[in-house]
Amino acid sequence: MAQILDPGSIVVDDWHRSADSREFFSRILHKKKRRNFGLLEAPVMPPNVSVDTVHYKIFISGKSGVGKSVLAARLTGLKIPNMHYETTGIETSVVYWPVKLRESGRVLFFRLQLWDCGENALRRFDHLLPVGLEYHKLAHPYNNKMALNCTDSVILEKIYLIPIFLCVFQSCKEQVDAILFLFSFTDRVSFDDLTNQIARGTELCDRVVKLVVGTKFDLFTHTDVTEREVTRFQEVSGLPVFRMGGDVTNASNLGEVAPLLNCLAEHLWHQDCVAAMAPAIPTHPESAVYMKSTV
Amino acid sequence: MMLQQTGSVQLLCLTANSGVPLFTRGACKQLPFSIIGSLNGVHMFGAGQGVVLGGCETDRGGRVVWRVFQDSVMLIAVSAGRHAQQGSGSGDSGEGDFQMRRLLENVWSCMVLVLGQDELVSVRNVERLKRDLRSCYRLIDQLLEGVQGQQSTMGDLTHCGDCLLPTNPALLQEALDGFTQAAESEFGCLMVHGRIAAATDKWWRLAPQEVVLLSALARTLSGSASCDFPVFLPQGSPNVAHRLLRFQLLLGADVCVLCGPSPTLNRAESELVGRFWSPVVEALRGTLAVGERCLPGSVTLRPDVLAVLLINRESRRSVSCVKTVSAHPSPHPCSPPLPSKTRCWELLRLFFTFSATRYFPLEETPPTLALTPGQNGHGEDTESLQEDFVLGFFHQPLQCYLVTDECKCYGLQTGQHQLYLLTPLSVPTFALRSVATETLSALTAAKGF
Ligand SMILES: Nc1nc2c(ncn2[C@@H]2O[C@H](COP(=O)(O)OP(=O)(O)O)[C@@H](O)[C@H]2O)c(=O)[nH]1
Ligand SMILES: [Mg+2]
Repeated sequence: MAQILDPGSIVVDDWHRSADSREFFSRILHKKKRRNFGLLEAPVMPPNVSVDTVHYKIFISGKSGVGKSVLAARLTGLKIPNMHYETTGIETSVVYWPVKLRESGRVLFFRLQLWDCGENALRRFDHLLPVGLEYHKLAHPYNNKMALNCTDSVILEKIYLIPIFLCVFQSCKEQVDAILFLFSFTDRVSFDDLTNQIARGTELCDRVVKLVVGTKFDLFTHTDVTEREVTRFQEVSGLPVFRMGGDVTNASNLGEVAPLLNCLAEHLWHQDCVAAMAPAIPTHPESAVYMKSTV
Repeated sequence: MMLQQTGSVQLLCLTANSGVPLFTRGACKQLPFSIIGSLNGVHMFGAGQGVVLGGCETDRGGRVVWRVFQDSVMLIAVSAGRHAQQGSGSGDSGEGDFQMRRLLENVWSCMVLVLGQDELVSVRNVERLKRDLRSCYRLIDQLLEGVQGQQSTMGDLTHCGDCLLPTNPALLQEALDGFTQAAESEFGCLMVHGRIAAATDKWWRLAPQEVVLLSALARTLSGSASCDFPVFLPQGSPNVAHRLLRFQLLLGADVCVLCGPSPTLNRAESELVGRFWSPVVEALRGTLAVGERCLPGSVTLRPDVLAVLLINRESRRSVSCVKTVSAHPSPHPCSPPLPSKTRCWELLRLFFTFSATRYFPLEETPPTLALTPGQNGHGEDTESLQEDFVLGFFHQPLQCYLVTDECKCYGLQTGQHQLYLLTPLSVPTFALRSVATETLSALTAAKGF
């Protein structure tokens, strides 16, 4: 369905290295570190430069411990916690990434909001789920209580309790624009499960950019997955695969994250362009407005 | 007299009936398994004799406290007394005990907050429980840091919400009330620098400990743009989960709401955050500028105040601040150096504990009905944190002071407030009372706190 784009076909590859990008990248840095933006903030350009910002929602998928939170921290340039803590519920973080479109030379800020969900919390309530009832059927919990028609008060309480967790996780997959599927180089099972993971993750979304990220690439001595297998997977699945690992001592080192963020931007932009040309209504008003004036 | 530091603390959690270790946190060097076993054993031995072992002190200044919650989980805290010196310390074991007991109480509540009481009380599968408990580590570690004086908040100890007084409270309150209502909730709170800058009436009606734990939770989540975190309320709703939605408006300024199933994080963020908070962004910036001092510029503290903690007894709110030491050059080159900022926080905690256990007991809120049915028969869940000493008084002390070899401390209590104050040693003892009363009126007059 989706076509895989060569790096640099839509956005300027490695743009962060060129001199004309400095003015834009300086807005996402602060004292040589990446700047963290609150929801009411955005990079501020001088009044004579106008840059459009396009908003996207990115879901990070993968089992607990695979490295989702660390990847989110890497991409946002935030301090990577030196202690591993289980993520409970959803945590989102925001990346602003300036991109130059190759053809028009136009610069855009991509605002990528990364959604990181600790799925363990959901699994905790697995055993409480009535047999044969699928997760998404429980989406409207308070009605389900009736729908299930159970009179046993104990079960009632449980069913009342699960939905809060489901509500939390439901919103993860609402209007997602891209999914990053994670596996870890040190966990064979996570690699073997990729195909399943991708099938499960894209079940409900038709129009979504898919990328695969292999984490803990720095721990090559413990690697469970060979280079050849990764290449083979890439060929068969037709999805871009990225390798991530190592500690980010220098948070302003954009080189580590640039290939992934540019690839993401490129595919997101392409997806929107295709959608804008099709009669369907685009999901992103901001980008749609912009495209009407360019396409 | 010396106010002793708590030192590094290790926390052990075991199942109450079989003594299976569930987790340990804190202190880099873990206690050997055999010691953990003995600590559990000695408590069990006591229980067999009809004795509840609450705590003990080692001859090197270390301290151990035990507590069983709901007949299901045993928590043990072990502290290695740093700076234990001969001769001192024997008289002030109360401080350490109080802090450690508070710690156990808070850790249990935080386990309930994250996992719900049911899962902790009716354990079906110990391995599963162990795995699930990992979700509490971030919050527990923060509580441990607090006991070791590494946090600049005191709520975990005082069970009063740590507040920051904004320059423009009415504007922020209005935005918060509107936002909370639009998010289909009555429970909303604006946090600035990890302290409460505004909260809805209902938020203040949560149990004081819940207010404190939710603040701590929000602090552990800070850094991300938004969160949706399932929480149980240890007192108000220990078995039915709610959602804590948190949005980072500006760096250091977060808004939290407690919700039911709706709205989704997506919707609240895209439709409500900008609508209610963009118009007051300047007021938010102004409040951020108040900084760690927690008091607006209009409130001036006397130069001879090192640190202050003010508690509103009725509303269970507190504001505390430690001044930066550089602002206090020692008046005489030969006088002892002023305690560092971290040490001031530690001293403030110790002095609060000293006074609270001896002279100014803070009323504990009566246990909420929701908690009563599950209570065990040992009366352990309602144990008093006060020393017997207090019970010997027929009158209510109003003021107290303490001269240590690092600073002087003064405490005073009125119908509505408690004030705790640290000054340099250079302030004459007879002047402490007037420094304290002046500070109290400066703080309360300006802001009606
Ligand atoms: N060496 C190395 N360790 C990693 C990397 N990514 C994650 N980890 C470690 O793997 C553990 C789990 O990571 P985390 O991001 O919390 O997993 P999550 O449960 O998917 O969010 C942590 O202890 C991380 O330090 C990586 O790229 N390199
Ligand atoms: Mg995580």
